[in-house]
Amino acid sequence: MNLARVRGTVVATRRSDKIEGARWLLVEDCDQAGAGRNEFLVALDMVGADRGQLVLLAQGSSCRWTLRTDDRPMDTLVIAIVDQIDQAGTVTWQAAGPG
Amino acid sequence: MVLARVKGTVVSTHKSPLLQGLKLLLLEKIDPVTLKGKGDFAVAIDSVGANAGEIVFYVTGSSARMTDATKGKPSDATIIAIVDAIEKDGAFTYQKAEGE
Repeated sequence: MNLARVRGTVVATRRSDKIEGARWLLVEDCDQAGAGRNEFLVALDMVGADRGQLVLLAQGSSCRWTLRTDDRPMDTLVIAIVDQIDQAGTVTWQAAGPG
Repeated sequence: MVLARVKGTVVSTHKSPLLQGLKLLLLEKIDPVTLKGKGDFAVAIDSVGANAGEIVFYVTGSSARMTDATKGKPSDATIIAIVDAIEKDGAFTYQKAEGE
């Protein structure tokens, strides 16, 4: 799984994926501290992620191992929102608290 | 999924029989903020009826075989959506023109 930051959304009505209620996020590849690398992907949101959040991406055929994406043409999914990253005892990422 | 702009078509008469009738498009990967091409090109099978100039996103690898058009076909890159709008940090970086 790769780390990415949610930067925005992508709207598309003409599609062939047949996933109902799909929400597409514009995500930026980033390092373990959440700094962007200026490489962007479109990802299907599975968890209700918001702009600015650090998320985990599943890529490749593993993306089809969910009930919503089984047998669907999907290769990039947001599967988790990261709360905290600890690198050798140092917190490199801490999500903003609830509310 | 990767964002790209349709730059043209690829024609092949000598190909796997399974690819008969499928449209091959030439794509250039773009930066979704500036919309500029990265000079990085790919060829993908079209499953949505995309036209030259449109921004699309495509899937790669085994997922490229999962559309109705490419089931069981030897494709590893398939366009699955035509983009209407891209929003970053609350502002649109791209909005498709009416009737385009």
